[in-house]
Amino acid sequence: MRALFNLLFFPGGLFLIVLALAYEWVDRKLLARFQNRIGPRWFQTVADIVKLLVKEEITPATAHPILFGVLPVVAMAGALTAALYVPLLGFRPAFSFKGDLIVTLYLLSLLTMSIGMAGWNSTSRFTMMGATRALTQLFSYEAPFMLALLGPAIVAQSWQISEIVAANQGPWLLLTQPFGFVVALIGLMGKLEMPPFDAPKAKTEIVAGALTEYSGRGLGLFHLGKEMELVVGLTLIAALYMGGIANPLEFFGKTLLLLVILSTLHAILTRLRIDQTVGLWWRYGAVAVLLQWLALIAWKGIVA
Amino acid sequence: MSTDLVLQKVETLLAGFAKGTAKPEPNRLDLNIDASDLIAAITALRGARWGYLAALTGVDLGKEANQIEALYHLCEGDAIATLRVRVPRAGGAVPSVYALHPNSMFFERELMEMFGVTVTGLADTSHLFLPDGWPDGMYPLLKDTDVKAAAARTMGSEPPEMGRQGDRFIVPIGPQHPALKEPGHFEFAVDGELVTGATVRLGYVHRGIERACEQQNYTQNLYLTERVCGICSHSHANAYVNGVEQLAKVLAPPRAQAIRQLVACLERIHSHFLWLGVAAYEAGFETLLMYSWRDREVVMDVLEQMTGNRVNYSASVLGGVKYDVTAAHAAAIRRAMDTIEERATHYLHVVTTDTSFLARAQGIGVTSTEEADALGLLGPTLRAAGVTRDVRVDAPYGSYQQFPVTASVDSAGDLAARFKVRMLETLESVRVIRAILDGLPEGDLTVKFPRKIPAGETISRFEAPRGELFYYIKSNGTDKPERVKIRTPSICNWIYVLTKAVGSQMADVPPLLAGIDPCFSCNDRMIVVNRHGGDRRIWTREDLRRHASTQTRR
Repeated sequence: MRALFNLLFFPGGLFLIVLALAYEWVDRKLLARFQNRIGPRWFQTVADIVKLLVKEEITPATAHPILFGVLPVVAMAGALTAALYVPLLGFRPAFSFKGDLIVTLYLLSLLTMSIGMAGWNSTSRFTMMGATRALTQLFSYEAPFMLALLGPAIVAQSWQISEIVAANQGPWLLLTQPFGFVVALIGLMGKLEMPPFDAPKAKTEIVAGALTEYSGRGLGLFHLGKEMELVVGLTLIAALYMGGIANPLEFFGKTLLLLVILSTLHAILTRLRIDQTVGLWWRYGAVAVLLQWLALIAWKGIVA
Repeated sequence: MSTDLVLQKVETLLAGFAKGTAKPEPNRLDLNIDASDLIAAITALRGARWGYLAALTGVDLGKEANQIEALYHLCEGDAIATLRVRVPRAGGAVPSVYALHPNSMFFERELMEMFGVTVTGLADTSHLFLPDGWPDGMYPLLKDTDVKAAAARTMGSEPPEMGRQGDRFIVPIGPQHPALKEPGHFEFAVDGELVTGATVRLGYVHRGIERACEQQNYTQNLYLTERVCGICSHSHANAYVNGVEQLAKVLAPPRAQAIRQLVACLERIHSHFLWLGVAAYEAGFETLLMYSWRDREVVMDVLEQMTGNRVNYSASVLGGVKYDVTAAHAAAIRRAMDTIEERATHYLHVVTTDTSFLARAQGIGVTSTEEADALGLLGPTLRAAGVTRDVRVDAPYGSYQQFPVTASVDSAGDLAARFKVRMLETLESVRVIRAILDGLPEGDLTVKFPRKIPAGETISRFEAPRGELFYYIKSNGTDKPERVKIRTPSICNWIYVLTKAVGSQMADVPPLLAGIDPCFSCNDRMIVVNRHGGDRRIWTREDLRRHASTQTRR
């Protein structure tokens, strides 16, 4: 009974959908204000999703129909499941076990994998290029992003999110592990294909990238999955790097602060070419995180 | 060097080929050349680095003469040398000068499909403007071609199958694509992210304006030419008006000339701000689009206040201007210029210093000065490569001698330089606008203008925001022109996109494309047809009127 509640209402299901749409609205509104626009009204994100969900879905003749229909569901399911392991609203995660951090990270990657596969399955020129770019980007940010989130785990000597949070009672980890924090936050932007990492769906080049052929429900689910991942990702970073989340007030304060940073970066940066994205991650992102790790390991092994 | 000396040089260089020369206007030299001598003549000019190929005009001399004249206009400073090649009306042929002037590719394809003149040695002889299903042997600019019948036959034809081009992976852009809000079709062959081939197809909005010009009187044509382009409408109207005034030997009053220049400067500002946003958006810098388009409204507002319109101002009329600049207008323009100056300075700062923007613009699509000149590029695209060529400076028309302009040049030759040059031009326009308002001559706005224009031909060049606009107008003594040729700057700059796209990253193609500030409706001017695949219903004028009446609230 409790499991069902967790899955359907809180933290998964309905609650996360509402929260995801609310955060999307905040993001869109902030961006609009930064860009000297008025921005959407509060119910616009809900209206968009409802519209997409009730619309006709067109499956390309050359695509595998079952795969075409299943991939959006998988993408959203990944984000929904990941939500069960993070301290949403500051409450204890619905499920928790040793190693749930690793599982969460993989669940978060499911979205990009699904997008990549959806692009290949759609067999249009734009989706193929979009899929190639999405997966190229995945391979560039994924390793630094994972390493960045495992930094706090090393300090706490645990792979369990709640234990890591509990172990770090000192100053916020973003002060002691600044590289890790930055890489994690920017990595989340890459994961969500937020500008400047939106080359996989650059509309002036490849229309909508891998999702070009999606319409109606499939597009809506992908969209929803992405927004959920935004909430889960922000929660995870806030919990690990910003001294945990004790109550709803802290949750909204910390995650919204991070969201403001993301929206600002979105507004002020120009889209990176895919080769620039790869270069940025491997030349700077990975090196920064590895240096961080080296420092952590040295500190753990020698000082402490 | 004075114009006479420049033209004398041409006479000397081509002494061996010219079968007769004429000097119809002080700055023009006409040379009759045989088709067989054409390559040698143009090679001689090119070897002496004389001029660039500005346009290629075809003129049907009619059934009696049974000849077509191909006019190769080459320009250097304010001097224009025209090589006149006569070929028979049926089965005439001229050699391609593509190897000497790459941009001739587009002119020659146009000559082939519009006049039926064979251009030998041209690699791509497919239609550039006309629909694929256009009936063979129907050449729309020949006087006796029934264009309506040809268009009707095109309508029924089936579109050709899109064949696979070997194993190449083609990314199509346009005519419906988020990168282009305008109708052109590009096919980029890509290998991964690398572009290995590029082709362009135009003509989706061909409206038959050149042909229509021959069927309407000079006053009606003013409104027609103004509608060639939705952004530089004043440039087209003014280029046309200048040409007709030259033919009629009527000079507009000084105040009218100054007001024309004022509107042209305002138009340049609005065009450059519009472009700034679009080009930044193509590269993925959305915020700059939002800001520059907001600031563009400042100029649009003063234009609207002055003329009542945002797009087609109808400022120029034959022999003068329609609107005066009142004290209230002047004050509003001055206020607007303060805002524009501040914003343009800011954008100049952004496009020269912003790291993430420069990462996408610096070193992209670099052309050297020699290459830009050899390709025959025009306007800011050319000036960003360090070539100081600007009609307003080289051949000042209207009041440009009274209110001179300095050309904005940058030597980098890349995409970033084009942003810089356009912002510098905006600031220069602000300066000129203030100078005009300070020194606006008093006097009449119009002079009396004859209805019939004496026979003759003239060339009018005008520096539009996108580069040199070229009008060739031939009159036959009646109230309708014999031939109007419009060569827009965009058509000369396509060659740049096609050359530079190959070998660059796919992601750089949209900004490269936008970098020349292409204007598709300017390119496309010929025929009233929807291309296959579009809506096949033909709307009559009555249908359109009925439709329009349902679109407004009563």
